[in-house]
Amino acid sequence: MSDEFVEVDARGLEPPQPMVRILEALTVLPTGAILRARTDRRPLHLYPLIEERGWVAESQPEADGSFVTFIRHA
Amino acid sequence: MPPGPASGLAPSVGLPLRFVATGFAAWLVGVVLLVVRPDMLATYHYNQYVVAATHLWVLGFLSSVVMGAMYQLVPVALEVRLHSERLAKWQFVFHLAGWVGMVAMFWRWDLKQVGHFGSAFAVGVGLFVYNLGRTLRRVPRWNVVAAGVASALAWLSLTVVVGLIVVTGKCTYDSVERLTTANPLRGMLAALAALATWVNQFDPLGVMHAHAHLGVVGFFVMMIVAVSYKLLPMFLLSEVQSERRAAWSVRLLNAGLAGVFLALAWRRTWQPVAALVLIAGLGLYFAEVRAILRARRRRVIDWGLRHHLTAQGLLGLVAVLGLVLGWPGLRVTMFTAQLETVYGWLGIAGVVSFTVLGFLYKIVPFLVWYHSYSRAVGRARVPTLADLYSERLQVAGYWSYLAGLLAAAAGAAAGYARWRGRGR
Repeated sequence: MSDEFVEVDARGLEPPQPMVRILEALTVLPTGAILRARTDRRPLHLYPLIEERGWVAESQPEADGSFVTFIRHA
Repeated sequence: MPPGPASGLAPSVGLPLRFVATGFAAWLVGVVLLVVRPDMLATYHYNQYVVAATHLWVLGFLSSVVMGAMYQLVPVALEVRLHSERLAKWQFVFHLAGWVGMVAMFWRWDLKQVGHFGSAFAVGVGLFVYNLGRTLRRVPRWNVVAAGVASALAWLSLTVVVGLIVVTGKCTYDSVERLTTANPLRGMLAALAALATWVNQFDPLGVMHAHAHLGVVGFFVMMIVAVSYKLLPMFLLSEVQSERRAAWSVRLLNAGLAGVFLALAWRRTWQPVAALVLIAGLGLYFAEVRAILRARRRRVIDWGLRHHLTAQGLLGLVAVLGLVLGWPGLRVTMFTAQLETVYGWLGIAGVVSFTVLGFLYKIVPFLVWYHSYSRAVGRARVPTLADLYSERLQVAGYWSYLAGLLAAAAGAAAGYARWRGRGR
C-alpha cells in the first residue's frame, strides 16, 4: 500500500457538492494513492457510487463531529 | 461509532419518490376540492365531506409524503440500513388502496366500507411501523432523533387503532343473528358489536378530536420535531446545542399528548393542564431550534427552511388557540365552533403541510439529482441542484400559499351563516 495521500476538504458545502468534489478528485487520483476526504457528515450516499467504481471507503468520526473517509482502489 | 466498512444504507430512490408522487397527486385533488367546495371550511367540521377531505389531505397527501421521506431519512439520519425495502413496497399497495377507498367511502358516508378500507390502510401502517421499528432496533447509538421517531410510530399505531374503533362504533351488526353459531364470522361480528357498544358510551365529538390529535400531534408534529434535530443542523451546518433540552422536548410532548388524548376522549376538565405540558415541550423545541440557528455556520436561510420556520411560528399560534378552545367553561358559540375549524385548518394545512413542503424543497431535488446524475459525476458534465428548481417559483409559492392559508382561515372564522346572511 502506498503512503501517498491526496486531501479533499469538502466541509462547509451543501449536498451534493461534497460528493461531487470527492468523485471528481478520484478521477485524477494517482495510481496507488489514497484519497483522504473530510466531510461534515458520514457520506452515506457516496458509498454505493464509490463501490460501483471499484473503490473501497472507510470512514472515521473526528472529535469535532466531522468525518474522515479514506478511499482506495479495491 | 467505530470506523467500519462503508456501504449504501439508503433504499433506492424509487421507493420514497413513489410515495411523494402519490402525495402530490392527492394534494392536487385536495386543493381542487377546496376550490370547488370552499363551503366545507365554513361549516362545522363534523360532517361527511369535511371528514373525507381531511382524510384525503392527511392520509393521501401528508402521510404519503412523510412515510416515503421516512424510508429515505431514517436510514441516513440514524446510520442504519432499512430493515426491508420489499415490505415498504407492499406497504405502498395497502396504503394506496386504503386511503383512496377510505376517502371515497367517507364522502358517501358508507362507514362499513370505511372500516374495510381502513383495515387495509391499517395493514399498511402495520408494515410501516414494523419495518421502521426493526430498523430502529439496529441503531448503534440511541439518541433524541431515534426516540422521537419511535414515539411518532407508537402514536401513529394508536391513531389507527382508535380510528378503527370509532368506525366500529358507527356500524350496525344485525347480521350476527342470521349467522349460524358454527360460522367463524359470527364470533368476530359479535366482538365488534361489543366493541361498538363500549365506544358508543363516549362522546363521539370528543373521541373524534382525540383521534385527530393523536394523528396530527403524535405522528406528524412528533416526526417533524424528531427529524428537525437532524435535518436543521445538516442544512444549516450546525449542531444540536443541548441534547438534554431536545430529549425533554420529546418527553414533554409525549406526556402532554397522552394527557390531551385522555382528557378529550373522557371529557375531563384538566385538559388545559395536559395542553400546557404539551406546550412546554414545544417551547423547549423552539428554544433548541433557536440555539441551532444561532450556532449555524451557513448564514443564508433558503426558502425551504423559511417554510419550516414559518410553520413553527404557526405552530405556536395554533397551540395557544388549542389551549383556549379546550378551556373548561368556554362558552360554545358559532364563532368558537368555527374557530375549531380554523384550529384544524391551520394545524393540518398550515403547520404540517408547510413544514412538509419546506423539507420537500430540500429532499426531492437531491433525490432526483442523485437518481439521475450522480453516476455521471467525474465522467460528464452534470447540473447542480440549483439548476433543477426555480427559486422564484419557490418564493411565489411561499407567499401565495401563506396568503391562501390565512385568507381561508379568516373565511372559516367568519362562518357560513354570516356569509349567507342567515345568522347574526
